Amino acid sequence: MMPGDRPGLLVGLEVHQQLSAPTKLFCNCPITKTEEFPFSFERRLRPAQSETGRLDPAAVFEFSRDKPNLYLWSPESSCLVDADEEPPRQVSREVVETGLMVAAALGSGVVDEAHVMRKIVIDGSNTTGFQRTAVLGFGGSLMVDGTKVGVQSITLEEDAARIMGEDERSRIFGLDRLGVPLIEVALDPVSGTPEFVGHVALNLGRVLRSTGRVARGLGTIRQDLNISLDGGAVVEVKGVQKLNLVAKVVAYEASRQRALMEVAKKLVGRGAKVKCAVKEVTRIVPWGGSEVLSKAVGEGGKVDCVTATGLSGLLGWEPAPGFRLGREAAEVARAHSLGGIVHSDEFRKRGISEGEERALREYCGAAEDTALVLVAGEPDRAERGAAAVASRLELAPDGVPAETRGATRDGETVYMRPRPGAQRMYPETDVPLITLPKELLSAAADSVGEPWEDTVKRYTNSFRLSRDLALRLYDSDSAPVFEALARELMVEPSVIASILVEMPPRLLREGVPEDAMNEARLVELLRAIDSGAVAKEAAPDILRALGAGKAKTVAEAVGSLELSRMGESEVSSLVDRLVRSSSKLISERRESALSPLMGELMSEVRGRADGALVSRLLKERLERALKAPRGRQSSKALR
Amino acid sequence: MKDLAGYRGRTLEFLRRASAGVGDVLEVKTDWGTVTGTVVPRYASADDSHVVLKLKTGYNVGLDVSRLRGAKVVAAGEKPSFSPSPAPKARPGLPKILLLGTGGTIASRVDYRTGAVHPAVDSSDLHALVPELSEIAMVDSEILFNILSENVKPLHWAKLASRIAKAVAQGYEGVVVTHGTDTLGYTAAALSFALQGIPIPVILTAAQRSSDRPSSDATLNLIGSVSIAASADISGVYVGAHLDESDRGVALHAGTRVRKNHTSRRDAFLSVGVPLAAVWEDGKVRLIDDGPPSEVRKALFRPKPKFSNGASLLKFYPSMPPSLLPSLRRSGTKCLVIEGTGLGHVSSDVIIEIGRFVRSGGMACMTSQCINGKVDLDVYDTGRDLLNAGAIPLEDMLSETAVVKASWVLANTRSAEEARRMMLTNLAGEMTSRRLPG
Repeated sequence: MMPGDRPGLLVGLEVHQQLSAPTKLFCNCPITKTEEFPFSFERRLRPAQSETGRLDPAAVFEFSRDKPNLYLWSPESSCLVDADEEPPRQVSREVVETGLMVAAALGSGVVDEAHVMRKIVIDGSNTTGFQRTAVLGFGGSLMVDGTKVGVQSITLEEDAARIMGEDERSRIFGLDRLGVPLIEVALDPVSGTPEFVGHVALNLGRVLRSTGRVARGLGTIRQDLNISLDGGAVVEVKGVQKLNLVAKVVAYEASRQRALMEVAKKLVGRGAKVKCAVKEVTRIVPWGGSEVLSKAVGEGGKVDCVTATGLSGLLGWEPAPGFRLGREAAEVARAHSLGGIVHSDEFRKRGISEGEERALREYCGAAEDTALVLVAGEPDRAERGAAAVASRLELAPDGVPAETRGATRDGETVYMRPRPGAQRMYPETDVPLITLPKELLSAAADSVGEPWEDTVKRYTNSFRLSRDLALRLYDSDSAPVFEALARELMVEPSVIASILVEMPPRLLREGVPEDAMNEARLVELLRAIDSGAVAKEAAPDILRALGAGKAKTVAEAVGSLELSRMGESEVSSLVDRLVRSSSKLISERRESALSPLMGELMSEVRGRADGALVSRLLKERLERALKAPRGRQSSKALR
Repeated sequence: MKDLAGYRGRTLEFLRRASAGVGDVLEVKTDWGTVTGTVVPRYASADDSHVVLKLKTGYNVGLDVSRLRGAKVVAAGEKPSFSPSPAPKARPGLPKILLLGTGGTIASRVDYRTGAVHPAVDSSDLHALVPELSEIAMVDSEILFNILSENVKPLHWAKLASRIAKAVAQGYEGVVVTHGTDTLGYTAAALSFALQGIPIPVILTAAQRSSDRPSSDATLNLIGSVSIAASADISGVYVGAHLDESDRGVALHAGTRVRKNHTSRRDAFLSVGVPLAAVWEDGKVRLIDDGPPSEVRKALFRPKPKFSNGASLLKFYPSMPPSLLPSLRRSGTKCLVIEGTGLGHVSSDVIIEIGRFVRSGGMACMTSQCINGKVDLDVYDTGRDLLNAGAIPLEDMLSETAVVKASWVLANTRSAEEARRMMLTNLAGEMTSRRLPG
């Protein structure tokens, strides 16, 4: 076993990649990020009954939160389709082709006729209450670190609305992102280290980019992870935005699930059954010692007490640092828009006295082994929250319950809702069936770009980049501009690649703002180097000047830094002057005076001349000086 | 006998050979792997080369049967059954409201197996979908017929009007009718004429998004309409529908002045030339224009649920062949409503045909395609020529209301003079005497 291996850890990766299509998937709206939304409307989504008359648990959960959704929209990015006020139009050929290209790149089988389905999602992120999605293909694989990872399915789907916040009254969404075309690739679960899972995500992203038809930039790729440990249920973690967080999220989830299993083991050891009940305790004790509770009551809220038999001592227990069952319960309460909970393992710490605890235990009929959890807030909300906390605690003996969690920016996960049931998909009858004749598939296969491995090889072979630089370039958003510039400019490809992908992160760490180093700026800079207006050595100084606001354009920065390029004659006279003033050094060290002289020259030139030119002129001049008879040299000085 | 709904030709053959039917779990071999899924029905309009399987994940996929190498049934079909949660218990003391279903999007439910949108099985389905109704009123529900509103005919208006008249006798304090949106305005007008003076509110409501969708507008429209019917001091026939694109308010429109003005928006219905009758918002009803006091109307209530098929509506356009008029006359039109341009005009060759139409014993009425404003045949020569030809100007009556009214008038009098008088009398708020600012 390798270090970091988690025995029994299985991770199924789902990558959602935005396509670089001109319009949204089911309407003719352009894809653009909107800053100002002039219009809004408010809606409520209700769980719809499935064909059996049953309701989906995830849908009921969202409905029980009982907050209307406020949608903000703008004509620049949305039309009536986004507002669910007009039927969708059919999927564009181009997007279907892109889907087929991805299938071809992964060697997947493709269905003959794709059916757009409605997948019920009523968290408000879709105005319709469902996401439109169509499966295009199955099977195929990709190689990751010498291991073959199987593909489960390739699906075309529309993106959800952008959550912009939540206030007391409603949850707020922006409709600019709703309907943006995504391709979802779901992989077979893999075992191994979190780092390996990270590599899987990275390589899949590279395969997708090799089609040349996917969008690039922040937020255009998103990973969902289905994570489970041996003996535990599958936990779905949604929305891992950055690739480098994949491994972190997997490691976090593995530890969390392991800790929950430890709690379950303890329960088995105790022979305890967890049974929960809820009782209102608003007026049982004065709550003076607890700021959270007294505030909630003061604002007209109520306090519900969840009693959970067998759990006393296990809510605050940390089988691993930071992981407690109490925290899980608090997350469930928070998902119901409640501030938090106070449980009996931390009563003293949270201002509930022994006397108060006794009163509560007596009122609720709770024995010593029973844990108490206080849930406070606006009455309806507190009631729903307490019921949810009770349901969660009753699952404690199972260890890891099946649930949907969201990834945080720090690579942790938080509770979102129960896992959706199987029965939540039905056909989108407003969109025609999509036939995928074999000719279309072979055409798509022909237009798939170079496999990413070949591109990286081409970068190392034809452009003489190091493999590391070539990979960084491929993974960056700058590969297309690199290829164009490397063909067009005389500047060394390695210099182009380095300025595009290595220099910005380095200067970013120094504090140079990111927008001072956007692609347009970098291209301007490279063109200036190519034209001879500035030496490549001056590149960092120019970007620093732009970042500090000393200049608005590269040309201005060159001027402001007195960086305009020295002509050959100017460099030559500088060399001349230095060689003459260094006669002592030269006569002592002969040829080896080159290096110190070069250092002195470069610091004087400060990027205004190319290092190669300076070096050539200095060598020539030094050779002449060394060949020249000494006498002539002195007589020259006498003139 | 296997159910092979929608399958024909090659695919039908394929399924028969495999002894498979809808609902069976079928395993097929494609050139890229084995696929297992439940056979679901095929849309009748789709081609005959693909079999549709619903996979375990819930996705449907279509597979070309000519490319499949093997097929075998691995599990027998299971008929899905729909058992909605029972309608909530009625609370005594609340107003008695009758909920009548006639079909349309509001009452439709998707068949998750086929994806087709089907009419609700029975009225309790509808009530069960919106259990909140039992907090507002004691709701009895009944399905009167179950058709898409484009198939509604005068005989359906008559049936509906009779049932509502009976509801008054049964002591209901209000009636809410669910109906397709497309011809909802026509039905509202029909009921307005047939049920003049009705002492209780009759509210027609609908949905632009089917009630199987989480975003359906049916919920709010039903809650709002039942609330108004149960609590507002109004009587007469109205349409209740979304006030705007938000799930916030329901607007109440007078039954003779309402028009579907958008193909797909929730707030498609507009009151033309009159203010809204009422608005239901934040659980409260705000009356805006409730017409004459209900006591007056109560005394006058004598339902006349009869309609004729002899009324037609013709929209005038520049290239219209005048021969359309004699042709309509020959096919049984007794009263022709012509939607003219501007103040109510048609070309001079059409005026000649109108004269002939009237001389042959028909009745010709003018409305305007401007939608807003009244016709006036006294301003231009064309108008005066129309009057001379015998055309009846219908003030600011909506064309759709006019043709419905003509259908009702024809069924309720045989006298041409009486018919003309009735068309020109404001019977149910279909005409206004003053066009107001705003």
